[in-house]
Amino acid sequence: MKLEVQNITKSFGDKEILHGISFEVNSGRAMGFLGRNGAGKSTTIRCLMDVFHQDSGRFLLDGAVFKPRKMRIGYLPEERGMYQKNDILPQLAYFAMLRGASKKDAYQSASDWIDYFELGDYKNKKLETLSKGNQQKIQIAQAFLNEPDILILDEPFSGLDPVNAQVFKDTIAGFVKQGKLVIFSSHQMSYVEEVCDDVTLIHQGDIVLTGDLDQIKREEGRDKLLLSLSDPRQTAALGDQLTQAFPGLHSTPVEDGLILDTQGQDLQGAIMGWLAGQAVPLRQFGLYEPSLTDIFIDKVGEKA
Amino acid sequence: MKDFLTVFKFELKTQLLKRSGIVTMVIMMVIVAALTSLPRIINLFSGSGEPAAVTEDMAINAGSGGIEKAGYLAPSDEQTQALLVQILGAQAPQYPDRESLEKALADKDIEVGFIVNPDLSYEAVYQDRAMMEDRDTTLGTVLTGIKKEQALISHGLTSTDYAAIEGTKAEGRTTVLGQNSLNSYWITFILMILVYFIVLMYGSSVSSIIAREKDSRTMEILITSTRPGYLIIGKVAAAGLAALIQFGSIILVAVIGFQLNKTTYPPELLMMVQGSLTPAYVWSYIFFSFFGFILYLFLYAALGSTVSKMEDLASATGLIQFLFVAAYMLATMAAQMPESTVAVVGSIIPFTSIMVMPIRFGLVTVSISQLVLAAVLMLAFVAFFAYLSIKIYRWGSLNYGNKTKLSRIVKEALRREG
Repeated sequence: MKLEVQNITKSFGDKEILHGISFEVNSGRAMGFLGRNGAGKSTTIRCLMDVFHQDSGRFLLDGAVFKPRKMRIGYLPEERGMYQKNDILPQLAYFAMLRGASKKDAYQSASDWIDYFELGDYKNKKLETLSKGNQQKIQIAQAFLNEPDILILDEPFSGLDPVNAQVFKDTIAGFVKQGKLVIFSSHQMSYVEEVCDDVTLIHQGDIVLTGDLDQIKREEGRDKLLLSLSDPRQTAALGDQLTQAFPGLHSTPVEDGLILDTQGQDLQGAIMGWLAGQAVPLRQFGLYEPSLTDIFIDKVGEKA
Repeated sequence: MKDFLTVFKFELKTQLLKRSGIVTMVIMMVIVAALTSLPRIINLFSGSGEPAAVTEDMAINAGSGGIEKAGYLAPSDEQTQALLVQILGAQAPQYPDRESLEKALADKDIEVGFIVNPDLSYEAVYQDRAMMEDRDTTLGTVLTGIKKEQALISHGLTSTDYAAIEGTKAEGRTTVLGQNSLNSYWITFILMILVYFIVLMYGSSVSSIIAREKDSRTMEILITSTRPGYLIIGKVAAAGLAALIQFGSIILVAVIGFQLNKTTYPPELLMMVQGSLTPAYVWSYIFFSFFGFILYLFLYAALGSTVSKMEDLASATGLIQFLFVAAYMLATMAAQMPESTVAVVGSIIPFTSIMVMPIRFGLVTVSISQLVLAAVLMLAFVAFFAYLSIKIYRWGSLNYGNKTKLSRIVKEALRREG
């Protein structure tokens, strides 16, 4: 399956929130939808789920207009909630039935997911009797009911402890392996980096980056070298010496050392020779591959 | 349709299994069962159940225990004194003067003191008089009977002659071609109160269910799973059926209680119930009450979806409460003046016809044209407000935070596509 988001615009009153955004998501590859607070992630997802109606543009699934209520979709809204005063199993089964499952299948699916999250003892307890973390697990479970073909998860990791986050990551990985189409938004870059094959970065209602995560990392790291010293105190002075020795080289101090941007010049061998001649206490020197956090800060940090 | 049934079953189960609702229903059933059995219970405690026989010698009847803990001021003539002994009993103390009688009252030796004159005029003296106290009236009745007897004798008549004269009357009968207000008034009024409670109870329930869904953010999961129309119609239908089941059970208890105990009911009460519950009245009551109830449920549902927090619900639904209380007041007025212009108009407009039409139908003959017009308007309003409430529910699912004027909500809800 291929989901295409084409030129979506959305305004609230006079304020345009989405300025004609486009990207695509393919099944069998998890897509991380990233952006700062208020960038337009949840608005995009709500338009996709037909909670809001976009002002223009369209969503296509395999070339046809995407109709969320006619698909088997697991949806986890950003502001999630369920019936606090109802028993857990019947209400999960209720949500599954609303998405087309038969009563028997709905109860089976609900029961299986409750067991999966190790909350089997609470099936016939009211949701309000669970701790906040366990309530979160039940809310996530509702998105997985009824074997969805598409998973749309808005900030799924928020509120999860590391153990549950790992369980959740494994679950998403399982869905991806089954060839499902998975989109999720998150602020937690490390989780996205671990789970996602593709990322889309939205900033102030515009898509600033979209595509294969590894390729993006390579492109963002192209012409850049990472250098770090055993004695970090010498890093700044070394940066100045290098930029003097190699005209056109840009040096940026980072936590681990220096990022050297060669501006397209093939300087790796020359710099290595120069470093050997200077007898600096070198700890690491090689191609630079930025983390997703680095890319995120680089793309949207200074613009905000 | 499948989704509608899913919502309907889930909501119905939630409504019926609500613990507070079950407790309320059980209490109401017990009260109704007790009320319908009240005449039988009273008979059980009062002995045979036959009304007390009226004896000719009322003085002796009263004296054999009718007036207890009474004393009297010794009269000057022997005839009155003998009469008082006969009425109050030989054990009743007599006092030589008013002062000693009042002292006996103050000391609580007696509870009432009588001062009777030779012409049988009397004064009853109490220290404190209880609300239900009637010993003074009893003595008055006895003395009046004796005076009447004396008067009859002075005219050469006996009490038997007097009873025969009193019993003479012209034979006649009354035929009511339409409705007999005398019989219908109370039963229609009771049924109106029943509708009043049902609408307020289940209306509040529907609005709070929806407001809670929005408050807890469950609404977003729901509207992305199925159409808003199925959700709101399912909820309203479930509340409607829950009301029918729960209040139907109470009515069933009332009917069973009536059937089991009707032999103990006074004939007037039997005539009131059986005479006014004609099939036509029952059908008109069911039609206007049911569809009016559904109309109000849609209004409650729509307004429940306009609030973001539970605490705002009361103010949001205040408008309907006001409208409904106005309908109730109009109905009570229509019960007094069923043919007035206000009552006629009120019986046609759906927001008020829910209570006014059954009241009018029970008390007077309503023309077919008025009935048809009211019924058509009721159905049209139910359809329109169902549509409007779905639109407002959809609007409400997207709007959190700032309070918005109702007129603006309606405008935006109708403008929004889908």
